[in-house]
Amino acid sequence: MKIPWTSALLWVSLLAPSSLISQTAPAVASGYVGSNTCRTCHPDVWANFYRNPHYKSVASGKEPPAKTGCEGCHGPGAGHVAAGGGPTTIPHAFSLMKPEEIVDDCLQCHVKDVSKANIRRSAHTDANVVCSNCHSIHKSQAPKYLLASAQQRDLCYQCHATVRAQFEMPVKHRVNEGSVQCTDCHNPHGTFAATWRTGQRPRLVTQTSNNEEPCIKCHQDKRGPFVFEHAAVRVDGCETCHMPHGSMNSKLLKRPVTFTVCLECHNGQGNFGRQADGVLLQSAAHNMLDPRFQNCTNCHVRIHGSNADQNFLR
Amino acid sequence: MRRHLLCSLVFICPLFAQDTVAPSAGETAGPARGVDYGDYNVIQQWETGYRYALIGGDVGKYRSDVNYRNGIRLFSSSLSVNSRDGHGKYFDEIVLTTQGLGGDPYESVMLRVQKNRLYRYDMTWRLNDYYNTGIANSGGLHQANLQQRWQDHDLVLFPQSRFKFRAGYSRNKEDGAALSTINLFDFQRGDIFTFNSDVKREFNSYRVGADIDAYGFRLTFLHTWEYFKEDTPYSLLQPTAGLNPTDPSTLNTFNRSSPIHGSTPSWLVTLSTEHKYFALNGRFTNSAGKNGFLQQETASGTGLSGSVTRIITTGGDARRPVTTGDLNLSFFPTSRLTITNNTSFDNRRMVGNSVFQQVDLLTFDVVTYNFEYLGLRRIINSTDAHFRASKKIDFFAGYRYSNREIKSIQSTVDPTTPFANVLTAQTDVVHAGVAGVNVIFNSALRLHLEGEVGRNDNPFYPVSDANYHTINTRLQYRKRNVTAAAGYRQNYNNNSITLTSYSSHTRNYFGNFSWAARNWASLDAGYSYLHNDSLGGLQFFAGAPRAQLTTGTSVYVSNIHAANLGIRLALKRADIYAGYNITRDVGDGRPALQPLGTTDALLYDVQTFPLSFQTPLVRLTIPFTAKLKWNAGFQYYGYHEDFGLFSGPQNYHAATGYTSLLWAF
Repeated sequence: MKIPWTSALLWVSLLAPSSLISQTAPAVASGYVGSNTCRTCHPDVWANFYRNPHYKSVASGKEPPAKTGCEGCHGPGAGHVAAGGGPTTIPHAFSLMKPEEIVDDCLQCHVKDVSKANIRRSAHTDANVVCSNCHSIHKSQAPKYLLASAQQRDLCYQCHATVRAQFEMPVKHRVNEGSVQCTDCHNPHGTFAATWRTGQRPRLVTQTSNNEEPCIKCHQDKRGPFVFEHAAVRVDGCETCHMPHGSMNSKLLKRPVTFTVCLECHNGQGNFGRQADGVLLQSAAHNMLDPRFQNCTNCHVRIHGSNADQNFLR
Repeated sequence: MRRHLLCSLVFICPLFAQDTVAPSAGETAGPARGVDYGDYNVIQQWETGYRYALIGGDVGKYRSDVNYRNGIRLFSSSLSVNSRDGHGKYFDEIVLTTQGLGGDPYESVMLRVQKNRLYRYDMTWRLNDYYNTGIANSGGLHQANLQQRWQDHDLVLFPQSRFKFRAGYSRNKEDGAALSTINLFDFQRGDIFTFNSDVKREFNSYRVGADIDAYGFRLTFLHTWEYFKEDTPYSLLQPTAGLNPTDPSTLNTFNRSSPIHGSTPSWLVTLSTEHKYFALNGRFTNSAGKNGFLQQETASGTGLSGSVTRIITTGGDARRPVTTGDLNLSFFPTSRLTITNNTSFDNRRMVGNSVFQQVDLLTFDVVTYNFEYLGLRRIINSTDAHFRASKKIDFFAGYRYSNREIKSIQSTVDPTTPFANVLTAQTDVVHAGVAGVNVIFNSALRLHLEGEVGRNDNPFYPVSDANYHTINTRLQYRKRNVTAAAGYRQNYNNNSITLTSYSSHTRNYFGNFSWAARNWASLDAGYSYLHNDSLGGLQFFAGAPRAQLTTGTSVYVSNIHAANLGIRLALKRADIYAGYNITRDVGDGRPALQPLGTTDALLYDVQTFPLSFQTPLVRLTIPFTAKLKWNAGFQYYGYHEDFGLFSGPQNYHAATGYTSLLWAF
């Protein structure tokens, strides 16, 4: 019996495993060879790839060749195979790609994550710090997010050496101790405009789900709302008085003693403050030579905001 | 394979920051790890041992800064279970890591469980043992010994599908003992009394949402309900004299309860899409925070005018509705050019009512109706462009316009008087520009340089950014086993006021160097110099025998040198890591403080605060078998103030160390 070749092809395609179809059948036409081919020469990469989050695309078995396995990121491998290897024959060899090309490639899948919405205009992208600078797809030592360093802080410190110095000060958030992570307060992929201050900075500072400063994620008692808000906190943010990374001064304050922190604003001068006629001058009954008036917060205990007293006394 | 893993580790090693001496960061018990159980591969690592701390000097300051204590700990652990074919029955991946469990002041647990296409669950739990002497800010009267625990749970259903369902829960709980202070019996001249508080704060957050992918867009909804409550009771353990020795006031009894219960329901909606020539993403949020409170305070004692028994009751509520919107539009007209425009809007209104009722049983009865309003409305538009002139050089620039309106009403009198509810409004406009360049000289050497200039026509505070500029530059060399970088950052701000001109100058210099000399030896070194000086005008009351309005200058100078050095040797029979960190503020170079007593001396003494903080450490690891290692480490903490700004130096030194076993497979 003579079987038409088109019918034979149809039967073969119906009987073949779906994974074989996805990896092999379209490959012939579009230059995709499938991950199994890559595995032949790169067994070290493939050996642990099942631990990689990107393995989901392989396990799925339903993704088109351009969105699964090795070629999902590196592009069709037929040319690379034909040339007998070599990085220059890989369509998307990340070590050879320009920074913006790396961003483009990764965003093909990751663009829709809310946390990456501002990556195009982030300070990191402007500085050509792109995905592969912080993430290592095949050699990651981190259990989550495929970070290029085992600890997130080490990754950030590579460029932010002065921030590292701040976290090694005596008073600091416990980043080096592992209690706090850089991403608790920062979004390295870029953020929308901060809702405190008005200049270009702060950049890359993450916000709570309702757009408030990240500090209040932990310091809930400072969040309010209060009947009597300390306007400095809401208008210019916590860093008006505090240095968030680290400080040589207690309570992460910008000055070693409290009264200079307060009096640098509370001098009654200029058109500053809520009433635009100077920030309230201290009481005439406060003699600053008397030590009990030098620690302002001994009486103004609710300095971040109060419900009972406009002067934050209770 | 072994060689490859070893090389990876060596590459990573020089990048370690000097963290605490334990756990043994980066240590693994041999490269060939993992055991197959059925269709799963399991990797485990456990490090457990004993930590000790011998503390000398100011123990309170040590606990505020470091806080490691004696005891047995599970220093760290990690567990990874992975399905080898991505088709596990109930899960495809479990990742569990812990640190410091069993008594360290900083404990954490992180868990991820997921099954491809079906669900992903993430959990983090953290504990922070917080101790603060409060010497600098309150003369030790706000000492706190608290424990704070956070937990976050996030569940995503159908994470790889076009419709994702999200749910989450977070909890933040803080409790412990603390001291606080109160000014009593006379608002202007009253004495200050110390009392105890049993801190109880709790925050719970519930969230539900969904992501929908359709027609090339992703739409995300998230609804969050947040609840905060503080039920801290305050009490006085025994009658006490006030802190002013010349004031005869005493406090005999004191009790306060001030429950605050609040909620913040909020909405988040985002929309995003990306195409060949443009991308769009927008966000809208709305929240309606509200706090209800009731405070009752009873105090009896002796004031300046004799015995007093006072009851204060305050009740009311505070609200903060917030609405924000953001829209990003990115255009890619050519492969070399990206233009992004962002428009943001936010409107927040803080409004509250409070009825303050004070009853002095022997003298008078006061009722005050308080009302306050603070409204912030901002509109921001910014445009950024990034142009890649060639493979070697690219430029970027941006401009931002911000317009902020601040409205305020403060009314602390009986609302029937004509002075109530006077609205004050003001607007400030900021123009800020940023520009920079990236140069790739060759495959190893690259330069980043950027600057920003901003002008605010009506800054809100004397210390706000007004007329400022920043410079940020970084030169990096990276080739094979050597990484070196150097940079400079500058931030100058000038804010003119009539009294004097507030100005601040920050200049940071840094250089760091990492070298993996051999696959068994590496070195990491860095140096930073952080300079900060500021000048501001002060006006306050001071003088003897009577306080007079006094004008002065606030000067602050800080010159911090920070250096770190780390050397790692991975020998045949032992791994050794030695590191040294020092942070030294040399201040303005003065040798001593002036004796107090005059205003000039008071201002002079707080202009600088020279001190040093150093932490050398050494860590030794000896492998017993391929899966078992013994670790020991020693870390010294030395804190030294050049002169005691707060009635005496808070110097301390601590020798801490640990010994542990690390087991892995």
